[in-house]
Amino acid sequence: MYQQQYGPPSFPQQPAFAPYPYYQQPAPPPPVPVYHPDPTTFRRDYSNQLAELKVNSRPIIQNLSMIAQEFSRFADIVAQCLEAHIRRVPQWMKLPAFYLLDAISKNVYEPYARHFAAFVVPLFLETYGQVDEATRSKMEEMLITWRSGSPTNKELFGVAAQIAIERGVWGDGASSNNTNGFHSGSGQISKSQVLTELEFTLNQKERAVQANPYDSTSQGHIGILHQLRKLVEAGVSQEELQQILNRLRSLVRAAAPAPTPAPSPPAPVAAPASWSPQPTYPIQAPFPPAAPPMYPFPTYNNVKTETPPSVLPSASGSGLSAQSSILNLLSTLQKVVTENGTPLGAGAPNQEDVSKPELPPDLERESSRNYRDAILAQDVKLTSADITRKRPGVVEFLYDRLAAQCRQCGIRFPDTTFGKKRMEDHLDMHFKQNRKANQNIGRGHSRSWFVGVEDWVHDLSLDVKGKGREDGARPMNAKAAAAAEVAKRDADLRAQYVVVPPGEEAKPVSCPICKEPFKSEFLEDDEDWVWRNAVLKDDRVYHATCHADAANGLALRLRSELAHLRSHSGTPESAAGPARVMTPPSGLKISEALRSVSLSPSPESKLVGTKRKVDDTESSVSGEGDGTPRLKKAALAPQATPE
Amino acid sequence: MASEGAPIETKEWILDPETEYRFELDPGTSLAVKLIRGNAEVFGAELAANKPYLFGSECKAAIFTWRGCTIQMSQPSTEYVAEETPMSAYANLHLAFEQMRVRALRNLRGSPVPDYEREKSTDPPRALILGPENSGKTTVCKILINYAVRAGQGWSPLLINTDTSEGGWAAPGALSAAPVHSPLPTCSPASPLGAAATSAPTALSSNALLPIAYWYGHAESKRNPLLMERIIRNLGENINDKYQVDVEGRAAGLIVDTPSSFAAGPGSSDDRHRLIKACVDAFKINAILVVGHEKLNVEMQRAYGSALTVVKIPKSGGVVELDHLYRERVHNYQLHTYMYGQIIPPPAGISSASLGGETLSDLVLSPSSTIINFGDLSIFRIGAETMAPSSALPIGAARAVSETQAVPIDPAQPGSGLLNAVLAVLAPPANTDESERYDEEILDLPISGFIIVTNLDIPHRKMTILAPNQGSVIGRTAVVGSFEWQE
Repeated sequence: MYQQQYGPPSFPQQPAFAPYPYYQQPAPPPPVPVYHPDPTTFRRDYSNQLAELKVNSRPIIQNLSMIAQEFSRFADIVAQCLEAHIRRVPQWMKLPAFYLLDAISKNVYEPYARHFAAFVVPLFLETYGQVDEATRSKMEEMLITWRSGSPTNKELFGVAAQIAIERGVWGDGASSNNTNGFHSGSGQISKSQVLTELEFTLNQKERAVQANPYDSTSQGHIGILHQLRKLVEAGVSQEELQQILNRLRSLVRAAAPAPTPAPSPPAPVAAPASWSPQPTYPIQAPFPPAAPPMYPFPTYNNVKTETPPSVLPSASGSGLSAQSSILNLLSTLQKVVTENGTPLGAGAPNQEDVSKPELPPDLERESSRNYRDAILAQDVKLTSADITRKRPGVVEFLYDRLAAQCRQCGIRFPDTTFGKKRMEDHLDMHFKQNRKANQNIGRGHSRSWFVGVEDWVHDLSLDVKGKGREDGARPMNAKAAAAAEVAKRDADLRAQYVVVPPGEEAKPVSCPICKEPFKSEFLEDDEDWVWRNAVLKDDRVYHATCHADAANGLALRLRSELAHLRSHSGTPESAAGPARVMTPPSGLKISEALRSVSLSPSPESKLVGTKRKVDDTESSVSGEGDGTPRLKKAALAPQATPE
Repeated sequence: MASEGAPIETKEWILDPETEYRFELDPGTSLAVKLIRGNAEVFGAELAANKPYLFGSECKAAIFTWRGCTIQMSQPSTEYVAEETPMSAYANLHLAFEQMRVRALRNLRGSPVPDYEREKSTDPPRALILGPENSGKTTVCKILINYAVRAGQGWSPLLINTDTSEGGWAAPGALSAAPVHSPLPTCSPASPLGAAATSAPTALSSNALLPIAYWYGHAESKRNPLLMERIIRNLGENINDKYQVDVEGRAAGLIVDTPSSFAAGPGSSDDRHRLIKACVDAFKINAILVVGHEKLNVEMQRAYGSALTVVKIPKSGGVVELDHLYRERVHNYQLHTYMYGQIIPPPAGISSASLGGETLSDLVLSPSSTIINFGDLSIFRIGAETMAPSSALPIGAARAVSETQAVPIDPAQPGSGLLNAVLAVLAPPANTDESERYDEEILDLPISGFIIVTNLDIPHRKMTILAPNQGSVIGRTAVVGSFEWQE
């Protein structure tokens, strides 16, 4: 089988374009912006859009940072507009603009962080001096997230800028950015600084618990942090503040390498309406199709009830002296830090308190009830005569009742709480798609196979009604996601390579599965000749894709063996239709199958045969791997091929 | 908005309420339309303001406004503003269907029903659209579907295409069905009903639909009515199964687009009626909409009027008479789009625009060309290559090959007809239990995708195939029809 490959393997971050030998895309080079402004127009448009950013509105911030991402060639203009905007607007409008700066820097990073770094120190400090106390604490929270805000978990705007701002905010003793810890002794540590950092750490932990409810370590941390906060609020000595700060930072650092637990489930997220800075931007190259939730985290200014201190088991009203309990807490904290994974159930707050504010299901019902009443009030009958009677009623339903419109694609949403949430989800989806599209540039896409009966029937787009669905216009389509997953996996496989053994560059080597020779190419970075799309297994080089197909084939075969065994063991699959019979692909099932196959000496078991075939140069394992079972009936039997 | 180079010729149109701007494009031209002010929609899909929308591949469409709007565009081949449109009738249809949907949902959820409503049916709308050639059936389907998904109620109605000369989401020759979640864009006749899923990230789910498709293989329904009827019944069963799983999804109903041959045509009308009956049974149709055809309307009233609602709906004056050559070109566009994605060069001066709500780069696809052995793929044809209708056979004569018999094809035989043929690769049978396999199973398997035989190397027993993606087709079963495609 000769696989010709169009489009290079993945270079995710490169803005270069795949040459498609079959068709040159006629349009001038993407990333295709929605419009094509000159710098002046862009400056005008962007400032105009910026002017709308008066409150902390997530859709606006997202929209603006999306534009910034699309037009990163105008990064200097964006930076100038933003700086001018922050300097110009009244103090109550400054924070949202800073959130925008925060969002762009973290999500787009390059080249924006560079541009912003030029003015962020004076701008931040100047603003900090002007705003009220509440805004200040928000800015402090944001500032802390900047410590590890860059894609590499480094300071978002560089060490120097971070230290300068922190000194300006908290004074000399405060700066933390020496990775070895921080300067001890010099200067005062304010209570507010410690509280801010405490709050920040607490939030981080709560997020970790949300992403992974079984993270008992973080749950333990949360309990202790709550108690610490109470103590600090009550007042502690300078030395203790220092200790707490120390501990907090080590805690944050310990957590930093894995900011988001990897496959965070598409959580039932009710996204907040406002922006909040996120500690670290989880970069995961190559991007998983189900990207980790972007900004669905609880905000500080959300109405969500923080765990009330009174719920805390030990600290409240206990007779312990503050002094000893701090030491206790700190040592516990330390223990938790060092013994990663020790469950500390005692301090864990009720999980429900941490969970995100879900929209009450009633809201959805209510909106559909209202709609029903309005629709049923329309006087229309399904007859030839009646439908031709003039009646402008529909406009109300298509436009007026749906006042909020997505500017990207024109889809409308009702102007209700429920509708607003749907629209936010929808904008999130655009945001993710855009980012994904930018990252996919040069990878080359292809048409997916259609789904089979089983998948089509069970495509659970019944989530369309908004239950636990993540994006507005695009129901969490398991199949589409799966298709994307397959494509990504394929691209990853193709990106694998094996270094050609020295001196064998000219020797033709073929894949044992498809028997096509490998094409060698010179890899500039490694200065080596390599075979692309290749893996080395048991001293033989295979096409990575062929090998994966073959391995998959084994799994599939096992699954069908399982179905086989079942129907032979007296569980006749009823004639309910062929669709029902396939066993769902689950890891458990496969291992089950493995066990039963190896235990029961079923004559049908082809396990051994299949295994051998993987190595066998004669067979077309990949074909069998696609799930076409052995054919018996004449109508489907492949023709004999006397080769 | 101006870019370097030649000045762009754009024109603004101010549309009065309830009028539409119609345009037709010549081959090789494209059009960019931007909504400046007001609201406008293309066949029920609303346009976002200030975004250039591209149209191409001889697209013939209309931009309708309920309340007036200003649009700006480059120059198409034919353009005019029409004041008479059937939109208000279609809108009323939509309202009537919405009433059926909300009643169905109320019933499914067991919500209380007021007394005056108790008499009403709780059946969701399941409509069959019939009409002669060039009557705008597909457009009616699209408007009704788009209005339903725009209602903001989370409806995902099923759209079923039985018009094999059009192909829907698959290629021409296929019958298919897909749930629709967001408005279907119109930009090219190559994807009249939105596009099937690709590996590219797309913003609108209508550009990544997941249809289930069966291969009929020919443009005309009269060529093998038995096979078509069987496929229709299979689709009906799949939909039934889907409704069992997704109970509330049933409330959104379904809409069936049909070929014009269902409405009228030369020869015996038995086949026609048989196919309509098959649709009515399979999809449990409760409303037949006849687009502008008096005789057919009466016919349907007589046949079904007692059991279900038959409604005659007006035909749009904007429909364009399409000739055979045009349909041939559209088939080419469709297959090209299936393999390479939607590629429409924007008109001069517009350097970037969105196509059906997507950025252009996301719609470029890379198929894969592969050389396989003859034995790697089992290829069949359903029925004989040329087949007279049963009624034309001498009395008492039997066929050598029945209409639904799968005949294996040997690519090594000269005259196999495989070169440039469009093959449908069938999904592997879900049932691996040999005892449940049966002879005609091949007729009941849905399509995984399409491949084109681009070269036959008989001496070496190899052939080159163009496949939509890198997935292997070795060991699969493929069925050839009467469609061919060459780039």
